[in-house]
Amino acid sequence: MSDYIVEMKHITKRFPGIVANDDVSIGIKKGEIFALLGENGAGKSTLMSILSGMYEPDEGEVYIRGEKVQISSPNHAAKLNIGMVHQHFKLVPDYTITENIILGIEPMKRFAGIFPYVDIQSANRKIEELSKSFGLEVDPKKRITDLTVSMQQRVEILKVLYREAEILIFDEPTAVLTPQEIEFLLDIIEGLRQGGKTIILITHKLDEIKKVADRCAVLNKGKLIDVLDVKETSTNYMAQLMVGREVSFESAKTPAQMKDEVLKVENLTVKNEDGFEVVKDVSFSIRGGEIFAIAGVADNGQVEIADAIAGLTKVSSGKILLNEQDITDERIRKRTEAGISYIPEDRQSVGLILDFDVATNLALKQYYKEPFSRNGILNKEEFDQFGNRLIEKYDIRSGQGIQTQVRSMSGGNQQKAIIAREIELQSPLMIFVQPTRGVDIGAIENIHKMMIQERDKGKAILLVSLELDEIMDVADTIGVIYNGRLQKVASSESLTKNEVGEYMMGAKHG
Amino acid sequence: MDTVIIDGLSFALPLFIIAIGGIYSEKSGITNLALEGFQGFGAFVGALSAVLIAHTSGIGVEHLFYVALLFSMIGGMMFSIIHAVLCIKFKADQVISGVVINILALALTTFLTAQINVLVFGQASDRFQLGVSDRFTIEFLANIPVIGAAFTNIYPFEIIIVIIACFAWYLLYKSKFGMRLRAAGENPHSVDAAGVDVSKVRFSAVLISGLLSGLGGMCFAYSISANFSSSIYMGYGFLAIAALIFGNWKILPTLVACLIFGFAKSGGSAIAMVMELPSSFTDLFMTLPYVLTLLLLIFFSKSNRAPRALGEIYDKGKR
Ligand SMILES: Nc1ncnc2c1ncn2[C@@H]1O[C@H](COP(=O)(O)OP(=O)(O)OP(=O)(O)O)[C@@H](O)[C@H]1O
Ligand SMILES: [Mg+2]
Repeated sequence: MSDYIVEMKHITKRFPGIVANDDVSIGIKKGEIFALLGENGAGKSTLMSILSGMYEPDEGEVYIRGEKVQISSPNHAAKLNIGMVHQHFKLVPDYTITENIILGIEPMKRFAGIFPYVDIQSANRKIEELSKSFGLEVDPKKRITDLTVSMQQRVEILKVLYREAEILIFDEPTAVLTPQEIEFLLDIIEGLRQGGKTIILITHKLDEIKKVADRCAVLNKGKLIDVLDVKETSTNYMAQLMVGREVSFESAKTPAQMKDEVLKVENLTVKNEDGFEVVKDVSFSIRGGEIFAIAGVADNGQVEIADAIAGLTKVSSGKILLNEQDITDERIRKRTEAGISYIPEDRQSVGLILDFDVATNLALKQYYKEPFSRNGILNKEEFDQFGNRLIEKYDIRSGQGIQTQVRSMSGGNQQKAIIAREIELQSPLMIFVQPTRGVDIGAIENIHKMMIQERDKGKAILLVSLELDEIMDVADTIGVIYNGRLQKVASSESLTKNEVGEYMMGAKHG
Repeated sequence: MDTVIIDGLSFALPLFIIAIGGIYSEKSGITNLALEGFQGFGAFVGALSAVLIAHTSGIGVEHLFYVALLFSMIGGMMFSIIHAVLCIKFKADQVISGVVINILALALTTFLTAQINVLVFGQASDRFQLGVSDRFTIEFLANIPVIGAAFTNIYPFEIIIVIIACFAWYLLYKSKFGMRLRAAGENPHSVDAAGVDVSKVRFSAVLISGLLSGLGGMCFAYSISANFSSSIYMGYGFLAIAALIFGNWKILPTLVACLIFGFAKSGGSAIAMVMELPSSFTDLFMTLPYVLTLLLLIFFSKSNRAPRALGEIYDKGKR
């Protein structure tokens, strides 16, 4: 018997038009943290879906604890003590944490010795203990709707722990978290390992791999390139191996050539559904040729500012001017036509129509105009040509080109499609909300380059990001938001990363 | 006053049990406009069994109430299989399926009633005569002022409905089946990820709605109309849907909605009677529950929330 707890041998998985995994062989040791690295669409999620019973491989074998198995369903995987913490959470919003966790394996009790009922009480207790022992800090009686994203993720972790998973797979768990939450999660993962669990971690962030992982497999276009010992490898080398070329972490940015004012926001106040002010009296302006970044800890109102400018939320008071034209109460299409491109935070529900193909999604903001339609009749050929051009230009990878259903694309490539569509609009104002979330480092570099390119063409760019490094890299002007108020607006040269961090925490006022 | 309560209850409770059926189906994520058809078809099967047994055995049809009740549940359930198969197996549009089933039920039962009357009983008629089921009074409770009326002249089915409703509440909120059912209507992906077959859960839910609707329909046939005919399709199924919407897809508030409808109806006829209006006015007063529906809609539709995945076709392959 080998010392591997998981062995995948010569795994091949094909989807229409693409080989997602091509003869991949990896072995994972008990008690290690094993990372998977690779570009968007390299086949990481697919490989792990095979291990967790969601897909069956076309070729190859899987061994768990030395025994050959054919994992036929997530249930079967659970029986083999394999659990996956999904990238997209699968939770019932109105249920409590406990109810979500026990769904499917409910502990029962009998009332008056006859009527069986779900024993929530004992489950509550058990989950509380489990949560304590791994430092997850959740209150089992809370409802999912009242939880932050990071809390919801911990519920997903508890779900697999409750099912007694020994092998835990995390698919890009940090993509949706703030830097502080990431720290916390990495500690949890470390704690799980100390508790004897085996961890497989998919991530695009090299410093996370460096921090917790023991070994790291690099995939490229479905093939396994190498398995590295993390301690002995530099992040630069990992990046290079993954992208297949040298990656520069610094953006080559020339000083901004600022032009006339494009966007002016005056005393903007936005209320959320509960009537609570989430954006308070915010004023700023962006000029052509300027990248204005809003830095801040998640949920401090930055997304609401972007939504208000794009027309997705209502403004309760204040004014928004685009090229001196008041657009505060305009409809969304009017705004798009007045010159706003928008890359939303939630790509799956706001950014894309998942069941439509790539060509249609790329033309989504222009389909009603010439040359995409004439006299109200759509011109399919024009869609296709446009789609092909963008796929080429922005390196959007998928199985069947323009005909691929967007839902089947890898997360990172979905994001690239949105960015392509919005930049192609060539609007005077471009709003990027978390543009590099879930995107591989090669592509991050490209996105940053494109943003700077557009800036140099004279566009005004609003960037909302939780990644301080990203902001320090590309922004010309930084506005720091805390609790719905802009604490500080200054040129990026005049601020250090530490200072921005202090404003973000509300520790310093400007 | 007493008759308003007595008649109101005997109308509200069958409505309530149909609405509970609807709650089961919709809580699992399947839109159910077919309640009207289920209750009609269920009542048809129940009535048919009763008249056939009466015909062969010589027992008076009014004494076969419990037999009819049993068969109506089976009939409603069998008929609901169509909706379940169309919506779950063939992923048809749930609204269209519901509408088609209602039309089918009306056409089929009207046709069959006429044919069977001619072929089996040798008479041309569009109805099965059933009579009115016996009633009873709980003496010591009936003497309480006002509320006492609720215990006077009760149909046995009212008791049966109350018992079944309690059980339905327990099943929906306390059992693991209920927990999975409600989750399937909110986020079927979570149910699937938990290793539970979403289709099976939804299938059972629709069958339960058929069963309970059949029961409700039979109660109407044995009380209000005293026969089975196409007049069973008076829109009670839709009224039940309205009730469950006002009840926010919850069993207890739905009971309140049904009681309001019931008392509006009996109150309406009482007013018409007291004022000695001609019968055409009675018809006008009979629309009271429906007018009330419209009014309530204005106030309630805003704050109420349907199950999140209601009417959504569940596709396992989606990620
Ligand atoms: N269900 C599916 N149907 C068709 N093609 C698919 C399906 N799932 C994945 N693919 C394709 O397989 C390839 C690998 O996808 P996968 O999701 O494994 O990539 P990934 O490495 O996880 O990328 P990312 O970092 O962007 O998440 C992609 O090109 C994707 O389009
Ligand atoms: Mg992936």
